[in-house]
Amino acid sequence: MELPENPNKDNNGYESAEKIILRWDSTASEEAREKMIFETDRHEADLYLHAVDEIQRSLSNASISNNTNAAAAVAVDDQSKVNSTIQIAMARLEDEFRNILMTHSSALEADSLFDPSSSSFSASSHHELEEDDSVSNEDSSHNDLLRLQFQHCESSDSSTFRSTSSIREVDLMPIEAICDLHAIATRMISSGYLRECIQVYGSVRKSAIDSSFRKLGIEKLSIGDIQRLEWEALESKIRRWIRAAKVCVRILFASERKLCEQIFESVGTDIDDACFMETVKGPAIQLFNFPEAISISRRSPEKLFKILDLHDALMDLLPDIEAVFDSKSSESIRVQAAEILSRLAEAARGILSEFESAILREPSRVPVPGGTIHPLTRYVMNYISLISDYKQTLIELIMSKPSTGLRYSGDQSTPDMEFAELEGKTPLALHLIWIIVVLQFNLEGKSKHYRDASLAHLFIMNNVHYIVQKVKGSPELREMIGDDYLRKLTGKFRQAATSYQRATWVSVLYCLRDEGLHVSGSFSSGVSKSALRERFKTFNAMFEEVHRTQATWLIPDTQLREELRISISEKLIPAYRSFLGRFRSHIESGKHPENYIKYSVEDLETAVLDFFEGYPISHQHLRRRSQ
Amino acid sequence: MNANEYQGSFLGRISIRRNQVVVMDAIHEQELEDIELFQKHVSDRFSELSSPSDDDAILSISWLRKLLDVFLCCEAEFEAILLMDRDPYQLSKPPFDRLIPELLDRAVKALDICNAVTNGVESVRHCQKLAEIAISALDQKPIGDGEVKRAKRALITLMAAINLDDKDGTNAKSTERSWSFGRRSGNKDRVAGQFRSLSWQVAKNWSAAKQIQSTIYNLVAPRGAEASGLPSPIYTMNVIMIFVMWALVAAIPCQERTGLPTHFPVPKQLNWAHSLIGLQEKIADEWKKKEKKGMAGLLDEMQRMEKSAQSLIDFTDSFQFPGDAEKLQEAAGHVAELTEICRIMEQGLTPLQMHIREVFHRIVRSRTEFLDVLEKGSLPVI
Repeated sequence: MELPENPNKDNNGYESAEKIILRWDSTASEEAREKMIFETDRHEADLYLHAVDEIQRSLSNASISNNTNAAAAVAVDDQSKVNSTIQIAMARLEDEFRNILMTHSSALEADSLFDPSSSSFSASSHHELEEDDSVSNEDSSHNDLLRLQFQHCESSDSSTFRSTSSIREVDLMPIEAICDLHAIATRMISSGYLRECIQVYGSVRKSAIDSSFRKLGIEKLSIGDIQRLEWEALESKIRRWIRAAKVCVRILFASERKLCEQIFESVGTDIDDACFMETVKGPAIQLFNFPEAISISRRSPEKLFKILDLHDALMDLLPDIEAVFDSKSSESIRVQAAEILSRLAEAARGILSEFESAILREPSRVPVPGGTIHPLTRYVMNYISLISDYKQTLIELIMSKPSTGLRYSGDQSTPDMEFAELEGKTPLALHLIWIIVVLQFNLEGKSKHYRDASLAHLFIMNNVHYIVQKVKGSPELREMIGDDYLRKLTGKFRQAATSYQRATWVSVLYCLRDEGLHVSGSFSSGVSKSALRERFKTFNAMFEEVHRTQATWLIPDTQLREELRISISEKLIPAYRSFLGRFRSHIESGKHPENYIKYSVEDLETAVLDFFEGYPISHQHLRRRSQ
Repeated sequence: MNANEYQGSFLGRISIRRNQVVVMDAIHEQELEDIELFQKHVSDRFSELSSPSDDDAILSISWLRKLLDVFLCCEAEFEAILLMDRDPYQLSKPPFDRLIPELLDRAVKALDICNAVTNGVESVRHCQKLAEIAISALDQKPIGDGEVKRAKRALITLMAAINLDDKDGTNAKSTERSWSFGRRSGNKDRVAGQFRSLSWQVAKNWSAAKQIQSTIYNLVAPRGAEASGLPSPIYTMNVIMIFVMWALVAAIPCQERTGLPTHFPVPKQLNWAHSLIGLQEKIADEWKKKEKKGMAGLLDEMQRMEKSAQSLIDFTDSFQFPGDAEKLQEAAGHVAELTEICRIMEQGLTPLQMHIREVFHRIVRSRTEFLDVLEKGSLPVI
């Protein structure tokens, strides 16, 4: 505690410093208002900073040297004057600080965001778009799913944004500006003006981030808006958000963090953190509002895949979010990100579960004409093929078994699963099998609406066969469903084929039986001509009816169609041939044989080819061929 | 279960139906009791809110948190009544096929308001930070010109923030701390274009007032038979939700509150509603008084802050070193008041935000439950 040496010299230093400060007092002079020190001239800026330092030095000296009352009294006045000067200096520095920030706070440069070399749509590998044989029964839901598959591929295309697979900080402003800001910040903080510093910094940088957000296409949508939008519109917004979020977390926020660290380097503990949070907290919450709103939206099946995309993207970003927001004060942001992630997972689970219920309850009763593949079957099988594409994510997310049907209930109104297939299967696989079980159950119900039992069997055959084909067509799906269950399904459609044949052909072939045609009596022995004629007439009528009707039925799968026709022929043709062979002479020896023997074996063989084509035939067509 | 659908023998029908009726009556009886209890609880809770202690002035931070707690309690009871052991098909039939979707629609609006208000708390925090600058300046002993100027600068910005027109979250003129510069010709354009320190996180055309207005629209009290059944607690819950959101919007600055409705169409004869209506009218009166002045919200702490800040601005305007002893003492009193308010804010704002967030989560969950039940009770379209 000694008086400063060379007080005059120091006073002179102080006085000239004070002069500089007062000269730049913008409340006092017009000239001071007209230009900014740090824009004018390096030399001016340095002078000013030295002046500030000088004033600060004298303040701390003054507080050291108060050791007498007289000195204290003087010192109070002096101190007040010095404080006043400091305030003027700090006010000025604050404005300079703001000005430098504003000069360099435009939105993130375009070439930090966008990769100029990539084209807007590169044709990366697309999954094969599946095409079904039967085009005639295409329905809009099938088209929807094709579109779903296509868009799933799109999200893996390279985007126009720069590669954002990891954190990459960019320079948000030139190094000179950072140095100036650092110099100013140091002085403001050491004079106790930290709060002003943080306020200014936060407000300017926040508006810069806002501009960047706009450039990235991040919208301010309310939850209400998102509920009202069509899902298609939302899908493209989700894609855009995913790309933008990667840039935000890995480039934008990371760079802001770095900027804070540079400007507030060694200026005090956690100040850079406080400034960073001041800047970034609002925008970060705004960014997360979107996926949160999506996760809350009403659940419906077509949303599953985009929600999984969103989930995966956020999951991927999570480590970087934790790296960029790693301080105590940013805990709420990390927590929110984790919350949203778990909500998205829940939404995915909920959608899957609702999908299963929806299949069970799907109520359409109008039978599909011709017994062909039901749109429900198509939709469900395409859907679970897509699910198997997302196997990696879903296996992690789906943790519980399907909620119904695992217990044998004996209740005819709900389906159930048998235990044999269930050993060692992942919950996801169980769900997929359950979906197929439920689908079949529903189809069984639908088949009962056909008045013709044969058609009901055909319907089941067609649809279960389709299920089998789809499972076989996707290796992931097949692996999850398992060959045991696949065998069961195969047996099912084969059995349906057999049931069909029995239902239709037993009575037709019954006409061609031997019993009842032979009589023994007093005047004749051998064959009853009248009975024989009846038989032929009945056979012809039945066959024509079956032919006419079942030509309009449809088996979309070529191979299956062929197989069934061959199977029919194998029973029909030999029976007819042998019947003709044994009994034609009896008819031909009577009147008008052509009324009874209408068809040759070849005629029948040809007619069988009309079956299951899905087209009606004219009756004439058949008669013409036989002549 | 509809007794009329039973088909069986004459005698069989009678006995079955009688059993059904007995069972139905018992269920109905229990339900009525639950509803009555629920509404009594509502009445009690709002009555408590109407007579706050000193620490909990109406629309203070701690009072708002109590309000949020009341909401959570009422909501839990409501959900239990509506959903526990409930046959999903019942809620898909009239009048619930209209009432439930309306409730859920209001829930979505409430979610947006929760987000807007949580965001709005940030602007309260912004005011707190500005006030803290003034406090740290005026806490110095002795107070000199420097401190006073510093405080004044902060206080003027604070008043500008408090009197900020909600629409002008995007207005450059009043958002930033006052410059020493006033008009600076060279940079004016740059300032106006870039500068939004308090921009709202909602879309430009989103309006808190309109949002509240649309929740009140088509809010109709159940009449006749409906008034003694489930529609009644549904109506009660709607009113509670709307009131809570409305109070939050009145208290905390958020985008576009001009035209905030001040009247709730709730029939006065509903006995559970008395305290709620009383509170609503009291707050509405305050709102109408202050509306013309333009203000940052009726939050009690903000009102107090505004008063103290204004007094301190007057003080700084008339200050000359070394200052009048009496005035200094008065100023010290205001500074102490401001300090206390900032302390309350420092401790209370984040918990308030978290509390609102909890309400947000609850509304989401409740909505999901209801949507599930609606799905189960109706046939979907694939």
